[in-house]
Formats: sequence, C-alpha cells, structure tokens
Amino acid sequence: MKTTMKCAALAGVMILAGGMALAEYPEKPIQVIVGYSAGGGTDVMARTTAPFIEKYLGEGASIVVKNMPGASGQIGITEVANSDPDGYTLGTFNLPGMMARTLDRQADYDRDSFTYLANVVNDPNVIVTSKNSGLDTIDKLIAEAKENPGAITVGMSSLGGDDHFMLIKLQNMTETEFTIVPFKGSAPARTALMGGHVAMGILNISEVANFQEELNVLGVALAERSDFAPDLPTFAEQGVDLINGSMRGVVAPAGLPEDVEAKLLDAFTQLAEDPEFIAAMKATANPVEVVTGADFKALTGDLYDLAKEVWETTPWN
Amino acid sequence: MRGISLPRTISIRHEAEAMSNNHRNRLIRPETLTALGIVAVATAFLVPTASLKPISALLPAAMLVGLIILSVALLIDDQRKATAGEEPKPMTSAPKRVLGAFGLILGYALAVDFIGFYVSTAIAVPLVAYAFGYRNPLGLAIATAIVLGAIFMIFDFGMSQDFPAGRLWEN
Amino acid sequence: MYSDLLHALPNVVAFANFAALVIGVLAGIVVGAMPGLSATMAISVLVPFTFGLDPLVALGLMAGIYNGAMYGGAIPAVLLRIPGTPAAVATTFDGYPMAQKGEGGFALQVAVVSSSIGGIASAFALMLLAPPLSKVTLLFGPSEVFWVAVFGLCSIIFLLGGNPVKGLISACFGVFVSVVGSDPIFGTDRYTFGQLELLDGIHIVILLVGLYALPPVIDLLETPLKTDTSNSDKLGTEPIWRTLPRMLRFWKTWLRSAAIGIWIGILPGAGGSMAAFMSYNEARRTSKTPNTWGNGEPEGIAASETANNADTASALIPALTLGIPGTAVAAVMLGGLLVHGLQPGPMLFRDNPDIVFGFMWQFLFGAILLVFLGGSLATNSFAKLLKLPRPLLGSVIIVLMLIGVYSIHGPMFDVYLMLGFGAVGYLMDKLKFPLPPVVLGLILGSFAEENLRLALRIGRGDWSVLFANTTSQILVLMTVAVIVGPIIKRRYFNKSANGPDEKA
Repeated sequence: MKTTMKCAALAGVMILAGGMALAEYPEKPIQVIVGYSAGGGTDVMARTTAPFIEKYLGEGASIVVKNMPGASGQIGITEVANSDPDGYTLGTFNLPGMMARTLDRQADYDRDSFTYLANVVNDPNVIVTSKNSGLDTIDKLIAEAKENPGAITVGMSSLGGDDHFMLIKLQNMTETEFTIVPFKGSAPARTALMGGHVAMGILNISEVANFQEELNVLGVALAERSDFAPDLPTFAEQGVDLINGSMRGVVAPAGLPEDVEAKLLDAFTQLAEDPEFIAAMKATANPVEVVTGADFKALTGDLYDLAKEVWETTPWN
Repeated sequence: MRGISLPRTISIRHEAEAMSNNHRNRLIRPETLTALGIVAVATAFLVPTASLKPISALLPAAMLVGLIILSVALLIDDQRKATAGEEPKPMTSAPKRVLGAFGLILGYALAVDFIGFYVSTAIAVPLVAYAFGYRNPLGLAIATAIVLGAIFMIFDFGMSQDFPAGRLWEN
Repeated sequence: MYSDLLHALPNVVAFANFAALVIGVLAGIVVGAMPGLSATMAISVLVPFTFGLDPLVALGLMAGIYNGAMYGGAIPAVLLRIPGTPAAVATTFDGYPMAQKGEGGFALQVAVVSSSIGGIASAFALMLLAPPLSKVTLLFGPSEVFWVAVFGLCSIIFLLGGNPVKGLISACFGVFVSVVGSDPIFGTDRYTFGQLELLDGIHIVILLVGLYALPPVIDLLETPLKTDTSNSDKLGTEPIWRTLPRMLRFWKTWLRSAAIGIWIGILPGAGGSMAAFMSYNEARRTSKTPNTWGNGEPEGIAASETANNADTASALIPALTLGIPGTAVAAVMLGGLLVHGLQPGPMLFRDNPDIVFGFMWQFLFGAILLVFLGGSLATNSFAKLLKLPRPLLGSVIIVLMLIGVYSIHGPMFDVYLMLGFGAVGYLMDKLKFPLPPVVLGLILGSFAEENLRLALRIGRGDWSVLFANTTSQILVLMTVAVIVGPIIKRRYFNKSANGPDEKA
C-alpha cells in the first residue's frame, strides 16, 4: 500500500519534473552511451560529434559520453533501450550489427525500441586482395571464384556483420562461392591479408585508406565515389552493383517527447552541414553521411530485412 | 610430504590412528573432496557441449575430460596415501577467520552494489581492520580518510570515473 | 626516417610533455604497486580523459604509466607475493623468497634496473626497427600464431610445480576458463549462461586479481596481528650504485630476456606475461645453478622483469604499423591513439612524424626515468606502505581490488566473478595447486584455439595447413625441442641431484 502510494507520488513528481524539463531541454547533462570501449571507432564518433551537438542544442548543453563496452555493443544498446525516454539518455547505434544481434542471439530490444535520431557515419565496404594473389581487378576475382568455387579465402572481421552481408551479396549477385575466414576484428584480417595468409578481404574504406600501397583495393561499395578516398573506384563503375557498409548513428529510447526529438533532430541536421565537423570526422577516419529521423528508421528497417533474409537462407551459427 | 622423514614411532602411531578413523576419514580428506568436486563440476559442464558444433565443443570438452581424468588420478593418489595412513595437511589453522574474511569481502561487494561505493567503503575499511585485530581508532580514522580521499581525488574528481551509486537508491 | 626521429626530440623535452611523462611513470609505479590495480585498468580509465589533452601530453602519460606499471608490479610481487600486474607473476617465483630472506631491497633494485634495461632495449627496437620488425609480424598468419601459442603452452611444463597432476589440473582449468564467451568463429555462446557480461570472455585482470590477490589478503587477515619480526621485515636496502656491480653478472640474462620480450611483443596477442614466463624458463634452463631458482635467485627477477618491460614498446610495433596490438595494454593504448586521430598504418609515420616519433622517445625516456623515479624513493615508500598493520593493509587491498576490477569495464558482475575466482584461488593455494599454469592457460588457450580454427578454415578443413610453411615448421621443431630436450637431458645427466627445483 504504502509503496504503491510512494511510487505514485514519485511518478507524479517525475512527470512534473519531466514537464518542466521539456520547457527548456536540455537542463542537465545528456548521457550518450557507447557500447564499445573508449578509443574505438564508435567511441571516437561519439566524442567527436558531442561538442557539435552541444553547440547546436545551445544554452550550455553538455554531453557526457559513457562507455559500456561488451558483447559487441549489445550491453550498451540494451541499456539505452531500457532507459527513460526523456532525452537525457542517448546511445550510439551500429548497423547492421545491432539488428543482426536480434536475429542470431537473444536480445532485449528490437527495432521498435528506439527513437531514431541520426545516422552519422557510413563506412562503405571495400574488397581488397593481397598483392601476391594476382587478383587485381574485380573481374579477375569473379572469374577465379567461378573457376575454383571456394578456393578464395576471404578475411573479414566477424560473421553477421556488414563484411559478411557484403560477401553474401557478392556471392548471390555473381553466383560464386568463397571460403569465409572470420577474424576477431578487421585489423587482424587486414594483417593476414598483407602477409598473404588469406587471398581476399572485405573491410571498410576507413580501414584501408592508410594501406592503399600494401593492398589491392578493387572497389568501394558505394553508389558514388566516397569523399573520404575519392581516388578509389566504386563497384558500380566496374559494372557490379554492390552497395553495402557499416553505419554508426545515434538513437534514443522509443517514446521520446516530440519537442525533445525535434530539438535533437534539428541539431543533427545542422551538424550535417558543418564543414568543421566533417573535417574533424575525416581526421579520425569516419566517413560522414548524415541521415536523420524517419529516413534513418527506414534505413534500419532495410538493413534488418537484409539481415533476416541472410539469416533465414544461410544462418551463420 | 610423504612422511618418510618422520621418526618411525610417530609414523606407527599415525597408522594406528588412521586405522581406527580410516573409513570415516577417507572421504573427507581435502584432496579427495577436491577431486570429487572437480569431477562433479566438470561432468556438469560437459552437458552443454552436446548442443555446440563439434569444432566449438572440441577444446572445452577436451579440457573437461582432461580435468576428470586428472582428478581421478589425484583421487587415487590421495586414497593411496590414506591407505598408507598419511594424515592430510590441514587446510587452515583458523577456518572461522577465513570464512569471516570471505564473508566480509562478499558483504562489502554486495554493499557497494546495493548501497553505493563511498558509503560501503567508509564502513568496510575500518570494520575489516577492526574485526581482524587492528583496533587503534585514530589509525582507523586516518586510514579510512586517506583511502576515501585519494580514491575520490584520483578517480572521481580527476578522471570522472563513476563508481556504483547503489542500486537501492536508483528506483 | 632517422631525421624525423631527431626532429621530434625537442617537442618531447618541452616542459608539459616531459612533465606528463614523469607523472606517468610515477603514476604507473603506484598503479603497478597497488595490488588489484593494473596498467590495463589505469590506461582504460585515462583514455577518455585524454580526449581534451595535447597528443604528446596524453601519450606521455600513457607511455609513462605503461613503463612504470610494468616495474611497479614487481613491488608487491616481491614483498607480498601478489603480482601487481599479470606480467609480474614470474617475478614472484624468486622475488618473494628473496624478501623472506631479508633481501627484498636487492630484489627490487634488480627489478628496477632490469625493467629499465628491458624498456630501453624495447624503445630502441621501436625507434629504429619498427618497419622491418612489422614485416616479421606479417610472416605470422593463423597457423604460425597457433604454433607460437602451443610453444607458450608447453612452457607450462616448467611451471607444474612439485605435483604434475595438480599442475595439469591447473592448466586445464585455465584453458577451460579461456573458452568462456563467444565462440571465436561462429560467435555462439559457450558457458555464458545468458550473461552478456561473459560474452567477451573473462578478462585476465579479473582472474589475476581473484587468484593472486584475494588469497594473500585472506592470509593477511587470517594470521593474527603479532607476527612479522622476522627477516621479511628488513628490506636490506643499499644505495643502488653499490648494488649495481653485483648485478652486472646478469648481462647475458638481460640480453636474452630483452630479445625474448621484444620478440613476444611484436607477435600479436600473447603479451608481457608470456614473455616473462618464457624468459624465466630460458634463463633457468641455461643457468649453471638451476637449483637455486625458485628459492630466491636474483637472476630470475632479472629475467622476468627485463622481458616484461622489453615487450612494452615492441608491442606497439604491430599496433602502430598494422593496428594489431601485441598486448592487452597496447590494445587500450591503441584506443588512446585513435582518440587523437592517429590511425595505425604505414601512413602514420609519414602523416604525424612528430607525434609518433615523439611517442617513441617518450618510451625511451620513460624507461630511463624508471631507474631514477623507481629506484630508491618510490620503492622505499611503497615498501613502508606495504608494512602497514596487516588487517589495515588487507582491508585497503580489498578496496583496491574492487576498484581495479570495476574500472576496467564497469559492471559489478566482474567484481563478483573476481570474488568467485578468489575463492577458487584460495582453495588452490591451500591445496598446493600451482597458479601460474592457470594464468598461462587463460592467456594462451583460446588464443591457440582461435588461430587453429582460422588456420583450418584457410586450409578448408585440411590439417596439413598447419605444417605448410617454413615458419610453422621451425616453430614445431622449437616446440618439440622444448618438450623433448629436458627429458633427454634428465635421462643422461640425472646423476646430479634431483633436477631443477620446481617450486614455482
């Protein structure tokens, strides 16, 4: 009895407090939960973005980045999904990983658990081959894969990630077969590729930009050439219609008050145009492609469908 | 270990004692109990390997089977010693103090989790030291203050590192 | 390249940057010396904080902490038999017996001088040989790395202690703990029981703190207050210039251990503990008096401390050039580099020479500073601190253990896990199960498995891929030699006493 009353009173206070907060959001520090350790690509994205969002939210807004690493980001994103939708807890969101985790393991969230604010980074996939493999064009690669199905070993960072879906797309499109070698992370995969231990690798553009001399970069899975490395050709230019990548964005728990959502969306929209921000992101190897609100949600839906299709036809575990 | 160096009379007396308590004592020797415990736990852990792919199960299963075989070897060895009338070494001279220490540490961890880091630490440091024989009140106060102060200055103030605030107050 | 090196120097000795390094080394010694706190934890706490700092200040702090902690870990290892960092486990073998004999001061001086020598050698390797050494790393694909791990696992044989059955049980336990988490290839759960916190496996620091720090703490509390008027109270410190000549006879060990440390450092994933174990074994194997090892042989400290510092800077070679960290600490430091926009790769040296080469200088200066800062002052004050009344010391260590484990990732789950390992560790300690095989098993077990399975995938299921190239074959031969060598030696030279003392 007593506790229920207490709860009710507390809830009342919270609603009141919430109502007041809405008037001048943000009136206290906003926490951004990053599901990876400090210094990872996602963490650097969050920390680079934070001061710009503070600037566009105005009125002394302050953002605190909190790392909750573990389980490929699942611990952090679950925390975001379960926190109060008051605009004071946001979280970083990785695609297609976060959606794939709802398929290949038990997850306490789904795609409706979030208010989608903005995708900030789109790091397109690239196909690279080792210098000694002799496979220096995409056509040679496909021809070789057709001739000896399964003979080409493909190093990538993990199963059920963007690299993996990229390969599935390539296999379906060209009716070829490759042997997947999932390393723990892309740096070991890239190293094995440089050492010639695997023939081909699927990585992201930010991961090969500094290694163009050590590896053959066959193409970028983007509709148009990336500003990040404009000298690298796309697959579309070479007649193979491959588009895929790893996305990193920011979400809030579902049910965010409308005015808070509007204010945040506005901040992210302004962010997209800020040259200073784009330069800062480029310096930390994050190719920017800001997609906000409903478009971001649609993008998530598309990637979920892709992951689901792959999972149903070729489950990876 | 093997009691070879013991004077003959003592080892004979041991044997005589061991004879009388032999059956009761044989199974509660620490090494025997440990070996049995390892076998039980390892067998229990073997069950989930059935649902893994063979290649995933290979290493864990190999280690568990290894543990079982080695524990059986340990068991046989220890039982031989029991037959030879060798007394097991006592685990600790003060089991109550050991259990007390464990209890306090676990209690401290739980307190940090539920009522928060700083409060629990402020209580735990003097409490543990006092319980185990350091009774100087001034020393206790100074030590607690230094520990808490240093942790706050370095971690909280300096590095903005959060410690658990206590789950009880969260909701 | 070498002109870039010189060009970077003035920046390093600028006041703020140098001060950061000094503070880092001191902080590192403190962190390493506190049982429960580790370099991994200190740097992971530091990384987000460095976001707003000047790159060389941030990197100086990290380089200093790394170097300092690798030595600092030896202080409690010698005085309390609690390794302050995972890499100091091998230092306890001879350090603690020396402290009990009243030679703790000399043990720590050997440790600081050896650490410094290892660090200097490693820094030179990083400064002068990074590009060629990174080519060596490229030779090691999954099958080669698998053999390195097997080679490391074989050194468990020397750590088995008096009872091989118990030693092997420890090793199996360690390897089993290493498989907890997601499967390295498929990502399926193994023994996680639905706990997301277990998915990434069990962090070495959690196991180490539980196994190595909790049992001594219980002992500190268990033994009634009086005690301790024995030898261990006397540190027996002499000025370092007087003890230095006595150390010069370790020069061979210094050289060998530095080489081993550098080599292990450039291989991805194995890290300082393996370097220390391997160089300890090698030094004992070649020693003329193997019987004194484990009973307070200062050369044992020289071997393990040289090696664990020799792998600090060299672990950054693959981290900087290829993005693959050689040790857990280097992995966290890599994060610190990314925060400052320093992307690993060959371009790093071209794009940011002042910072990268400055960072290398900082490693060198950090290693040199170690002797001055760690020498007498810090060591003595810590030795005093560790001689607080036992119950008080015990309760403070408990707090430090909690902080050290909690600060790595955040969840209290890790703390409970550490306490669980503590209970296991206490039983193991009392029943005379050796602990080092557990540590080595945890570090190398899943590491070997992951690489074996990657190699098998590359070979498409054909096991012959493991023997397919020269590097692998050499490693196989080395492994066989390590296992068979001592057996042959024992068979033919068994007349002299009862072989090496195994009181690990």
